Amino acid sequence: MSGTAVGRVAVKDEATTREHEDRLLSACEALVGLALRAGAHEAEAFATRAEKASASFEKGDLKLAHVDEGSSIGLRVFRDARLGFSATNQFDLESLEQVARNAVALATASPADPANRLPDVQRLEMLAPLVHPGLARLGIEEAVDYGHALVTRAQKHDARISVDGANSSVSRVAQAIHTSRGVRATESDAMVSLSISGMAIQGTDVGGFHYASDAVRDPARIEASLTALVDDFAGTAVGNLGAESARGSYQGLVLLSPDALLDIFVAPVLGAASAIAVQRGRSALGKRLGERIGAPGFSIHDRPHDVDLAGAGSFDREGQPTRDFALLEDGWLRGWLYNGYAAAVENRLSTGHARGGARSVPSLGAHAIHVAAGSGGTREALLATLGKGLLVQRFSGSVDPASGDFSGVAKSSRWVEGGRVVAPVRETLLSGNAYQLLARIVSLGSRAERVDGGARAPWALVDGVNVTAG
Amino acid sequence: MLGSMQRASDPTDLLQDALNESAGGFVELRWHKKTTRGLSVEKGRVDTATASEHSGVGVRVLESGTFGFASTDRLEKGAILRAIGEARTAARASARARKERVPDLPRVALARGRFDAPGVDATLARPIEAALEMLLEVERGARASSSRVTSASTGYAEIYEEKGIVTSDGAKVWTRTVRPEFRVIAVAASGGEMQRGAEAVGVTGGWECLFEGRSANELGEKAAKQAVDLLDAGYPEGGRTRVLLSPALVGLLTHEAVGHTVEADFVASGSCAAGRLGTRVASDLVTLCDSGASEYHAGAGGTMAVDDEGVLAGRTTVIENGFLRSYLHDRESAARSGVAPTGNARAWEYDDEPLIRMRNTYIAPGTSTLEEMIAGVSDGYLLDGASNGQADANGEFMFGTREAYRIVNGKKGPLMRGVNISGSAFDVLQTVDAVGRDFRWDLGSGHCGKGQPAKVDAGGPWLSCEVVLGGRKS
Repeated sequence: MSGTAVGRVAVKDEATTREHEDRLLSACEALVGLALRAGAHEAEAFATRAEKASASFEKGDLKLAHVDEGSSIGLRVFRDARLGFSATNQFDLESLEQVARNAVALATASPADPANRLPDVQRLEMLAPLVHPGLARLGIEEAVDYGHALVTRAQKHDARISVDGANSSVSRVAQAIHTSRGVRATESDAMVSLSISGMAIQGTDVGGFHYASDAVRDPARIEASLTALVDDFAGTAVGNLGAESARGSYQGLVLLSPDALLDIFVAPVLGAASAIAVQRGRSALGKRLGERIGAPGFSIHDRPHDVDLAGAGSFDREGQPTRDFALLEDGWLRGWLYNGYAAAVENRLSTGHARGGARSVPSLGAHAIHVAAGSGGTREALLATLGKGLLVQRFSGSVDPASGDFSGVAKSSRWVEGGRVVAPVRETLLSGNAYQLLARIVSLGSRAERVDGGARAPWALVDGVNVTAG
Repeated sequence: MLGSMQRASDPTDLLQDALNESAGGFVELRWHKKTTRGLSVEKGRVDTATASEHSGVGVRVLESGTFGFASTDRLEKGAILRAIGEARTAARASARARKERVPDLPRVALARGRFDAPGVDATLARPIEAALEMLLEVERGARASSSRVTSASTGYAEIYEEKGIVTSDGAKVWTRTVRPEFRVIAVAASGGEMQRGAEAVGVTGGWECLFEGRSANELGEKAAKQAVDLLDAGYPEGGRTRVLLSPALVGLLTHEAVGHTVEADFVASGSCAAGRLGTRVASDLVTLCDSGASEYHAGAGGTMAVDDEGVLAGRTTVIENGFLRSYLHDRESAARSGVAPTGNARAWEYDDEPLIRMRNTYIAPGTSTLEEMIAGVSDGYLLDGASNGQADANGEFMFGTREAYRIVNGKKGPLMRGVNISGSAFDVLQTVDAVGRDFRWDLGSGHCGKGQPAKVDAGGPWLSCEVVLGGRKS
């Protein structure tokens, strides 16, 4: 067979967002057809096209300017309820035919599973276009400018700042899905992403490393994002100088940043709320649906229609509609996250939580997490409530999803006495059990802050945490 | 049998042809095809059965004292020439933001010819059905091993890579590498509590190499036993203490705590290794190396003959008997430092630019037996089983362990739950008072992350040192 192009995505052309989506959709339709002809009983093709201009900075200087465009297409097939998947970035007919043959061959080798079937069509409520017209025009020059601004402003903030790395990128992504059950959808997105990392150095004192990042869709918000990132990064890095050991080990109250709260408490809850984990007996929360597992006031929602967050989108990896979802309300465990497979096991509808890209089988997860703010007031008010103990800005460690045990280093942490920060702290370890301590969240800050452009959460005061001074 | 979207054939003549037609200056072309096969099984169900292939040409140019990078997914001269043009445009567009121009790259003997890692043909010829059968059997066995095991999962992944690298200053090389890996996880539950056991292996080489130390079934049995045993285990006490680190944890220590801080890009940013060449940073018992070869035992997961700049990937002695001797370099950092590149430039896929990355990092074996080392500890812990790990440029590291055993007066006690440990790299290495004689690579599964993933390995012998333990009671 010749290598005739099928829906090939042109490189660096001037096509509109809609034209890119249409080309991807055509390729998906062609691939589903090839899969059915190769012996698949059901087929789903998912394709993406990404265009990116990025600038990376190292040691405070430009390291590399990078422009890129590429596409991928993945095919999931079922044959007699047996699963096969194959993917490629080559869109010629010969490659797509090979993808179809490989997926069917894998399905033939796999054991059958009655839940292996594609979801039916559900009506989509499309969000307003996610690609801001102003952002669509940005390119490598703007990416360099944003990165340069990040680095120079951080260095001007304080001469002791050493920027280890910084990255700025402008990216545009189109995606399309087509299945043999009639699911058919496209959507595009575009963002400016910014990140900066490094430390402050004073003589022989190398301060603790800090990292800050953000992602925005609206060009009008880039300046505010740059300012907030520089303030966070440089302020924290300089504050890390002169760190000493924590003034004592204890079990008790710690004040967690929104970032640390998400890492220690929200991530394991999300893992345990996977319907697949529950169905297979590896969820620590599997028998607690409908119980109050968290402190009053502790609520976790998935809000994929919050377009201020990076994970926003109208449909999931299986073309199912996304919608607001309450996982935890006022401490009560309200529901599990379902993708198509998990839903088929229980013969119910997906909650729209299939995740992933074109190069892998759909997985399961949340899109845009919101942890509700509480009534604890500002960070200063929470410090006053803490009185004496540890403030943790970043958690570098692990949380075992089965047991909930967590253990790790409190990064960029501060020692607090009399309700005020008195010293930066180093080599301090945190440990405890996330599931047990959910009920010991004493207070939540009054504002949910954006975290890395992808989630919202407040500061949180948690009791019962083990703090080990180095 | 699964088929490839594109046949294996040496692309370097085509790359050379395109390079010859491009205008002057430094140009580096890297054809990179990555083929992955992956399977995962949980509770008798196949969750993943994938075969994917991504290929293209990454183009890096040095223009106006600045690097520019672009890529194309087409192995065609016209597409490559267009990508060279785009990389030049990107470099020119960004040159105004570059304060310090990239110096001329060092003239070194660049690789030419063909390099095949062991195991490529045998692994590619093995039907995927064989791997699937093994996963189902091991998962079934782990689940059946105890009534307390509630769930088990197994996974197999195989990355096959072909790379053709041609540079305007003389590299012309084609390499083929295969890296299979296997993992098993068991979850045990009792009285409302859950614990997890996990084992994983990953190599550069074939299946015989992958399961040379322990069979897949043995790994499954160990993961299940670990999960069950941890249900009844207590927590260690927290605090600064002497520990015996297993080869897997020594691997994490060398990789996370030392390796990252001696990557020349981190050094340039002011890591704790900056300005310390020639000074003592460790006990004289410590010699630490990073190598493209698989030293002591075959199959280390980061093995490579040539890096992604076309530099031969030799062995670099980073610390020699306690003294810091070298950093890890790419061609640019080597030029700035006036030294030879060490073959540490690596890119994950064709559309990624090469970064300074480790390969196989290790502490060289010493003379002690494990029994002697245990007998030498009056109050401390023996730690085993590597979990995740991270380190900052200031050398402060954190990594997780899966199992801990209290040692009192030279006697090893019962199993306790693993904890995270922390310390400052060079401070911890100064406390080393014994180095074991038995060497093992033990970090070949999974990936190192630094903007891009990379397959690496690390290991060493048992090591006695002081760290901070994040225990429950302090």
